[in-house]
Amino acid sequence: MKKTHIPKLDDFLGGGIPEGSSILFSAVPGVECETFGYQILNGIIEDGNRGFIFTNVTEPDNIIYEFKSYGWDLEKYLNEEKAFFVDGSSKFIGVPTIGKYSINELNQTEEIILKAIEDIPNGVGIINNLSTLIDYLDEDHVIKIINKLNKKAKANNTILIYIFTKWDYNPELIENIKNNVDAVVSLNSIEERVIIGQGFMVTNASWNHPDNKMVLFFVLQPGGIKIYIPKLLVTGPYNAGKSSFVKSISNESISVDRIALEKFPTTIAMDIGHVDHDGFIADIFGTPGQERFDLMLDILAREAVGAFIMVDSSAPQTFGRAKEMINKTQAEAIPKIIVANKQDLPGALSPEKIRDAMKLDDTIPIVPTIVIEDNGVDLAMETLLKQLYGD
Amino acid sequence: MINIQSGIPGFDQLTVSELAEGGIPEKSTTLIYGPPKTGKSIFCNQFIYSGLSNQEPCLYVTTDKGINQVQRDMMDFQWLIKNYIQNQTIYFIDGISHLSGGKFETKNNMVSSSVSNPADLMVKVGIGTRNVYKTSNHFRSILDSLNTLFAFNPDQMVIRILKAYLRRITEAGGTGLIAYTEGITDPKTEMELKSLFNNTIRLDGQYIHIKSDYTDFNEVQTFESDYTITDNGIVVNQNNFKNIN
Repeated sequence: MKKTHIPKLDDFLGGGIPEGSSILFSAVPGVECETFGYQILNGIIEDGNRGFIFTNVTEPDNIIYEFKSYGWDLEKYLNEEKAFFVDGSSKFIGVPTIGKYSINELNQTEEIILKAIEDIPNGVGIINNLSTLIDYLDEDHVIKIINKLNKKAKANNTILIYIFTKWDYNPELIENIKNNVDAVVSLNSIEERVIIGQGFMVTNASWNHPDNKMVLFFVLQPGGIKIYIPKLLVTGPYNAGKSSFVKSISNESISVDRIALEKFPTTIAMDIGHVDHDGFIADIFGTPGQERFDLMLDILAREAVGAFIMVDSSAPQTFGRAKEMINKTQAEAIPKIIVANKQDLPGALSPEKIRDAMKLDDTIPIVPTIVIEDNGVDLAMETLLKQLYGD
Repeated sequence: MINIQSGIPGFDQLTVSELAEGGIPEKSTTLIYGPPKTGKSIFCNQFIYSGLSNQEPCLYVTTDKGINQVQRDMMDFQWLIKNYIQNQTIYFIDGISHLSGGKFETKNNMVSSSVSNPADLMVKVGIGTRNVYKTSNHFRSILDSLNTLFAFNPDQMVIRILKAYLRRITEAGGTGLIAYTEGITDPKTEMELKSLFNNTIRLDGQYIHIKSDYTDFNEVQTFESDYTITDNGIVVNQNNFKNIN
């Protein structure tokens, strides 16, 4: 089994891709698909293996440049002979070919990729792009090629990654292609007249039973593929530490607050932050805690997919208010965790005591934190992610 | 049926019918074709300049020339788009510069792709439409031209890209104008190509021939006139209008 190094994908695939297997990334036109191949190659090489990229869509130089934009050093791997190109592009656009292998005639494609597979036992080969091959060669021929490549790869323990754009092909052809690989990952668009989001889902894997769960993703430069969580909510009573939490958990954040008559600054509109954590990115919204701002709770909470409920562990008198806020933000319906903050204060209750006091069932995790010391903040994030996406 | 101003003097008057006021049907797709050097690109540029002047955003996919060249070509007719680039009313996808080895600096509204990489081109079109759609639910969209796409891809692939592109822009509210030089592909592909569009405009150097398929009304309208290319762009001669219905 080899890890894909794409967040969540390894879990969906039951740990990764078995050696010798083929996997098809099948993308709706407009959805970013090449990065999946590149990120897998980069990860598998980092793990000490070798790999190649077959390209018939862009010259090797551009791919090197693209890797750079993600923060990955393909050039180094090329120099160390851990990676090589099968250049099926340059010749056809009239520039000098680069790479260990180059294709000068279309009918050499199969033979040369077979050679490349042989060169990297236990490695990974990226085929970018299968769709372009289909329109150059005829459909039946391409199916035959896929079969031959997969057979060779199986014998050689090489993983093959096919990048495929689902143009308006005959549905039978698409079905046929899918039936000739070991696993299929569908890359879909979420559209509202324009593409507003992208998601991936394992629709088929011969070695595992995928659960057909789609996750949203974003491609960051640098960074690569990240799971995108559109909105996480941070709510809880006044002075529980929500703003500090948003600030601590975020790479960037902004708070709309002011020093009130009380001596503490208090959030009067919201906190907004952006989190980048272990392959996940999320926008995070913090609500005000004071009752006089309750009219905006509902608005701020709309479309949130998960929630942090912050409490001051040393102030049990505010727990009732915390429960009221769960209700007002309709957070009962979404995955959530209780962040038991201010564990360092005298009289702070332990998570279990808080569970009793708030009469919460066991399904809602309670994470102890001292937010101002950054203590427990990452654990809180990981715990909510687990609630959202499972282990 | 709502038509938008083409920006080409005489064109809107020529295309008046009982179904529409004249101009180019909003949110439709138009293939502009003809022999080389008959003014297809000029027509495209004139069309988007007219939109830009009214603060209508534009998504411009250029595949024959780099962005700088497009800018210079437009300058020849005093259509200055520098400000529209700066204030991001225009969104450029440059599908050729990096193939020709040109250095390209990506900006918010100027991105690079490649005619030889259709999947990437459609990703950029997806991002571009989203960007333009954010500012307006109607915009003008240019693809100039299909020639280079045909040069770098099998014919069927270009048809596939085009279908995906046309669907993407019309769903987002774009009015699309796509240029193509007659005779680049075989007659069969050309037939298929034309069938993908609501309207076709043929320029032959002397005559402009317009065909609009008003599917909703189950009616096809055709118009013809002669035209000249002046220092101010294309002018359709108003004395020789022919509505050939």
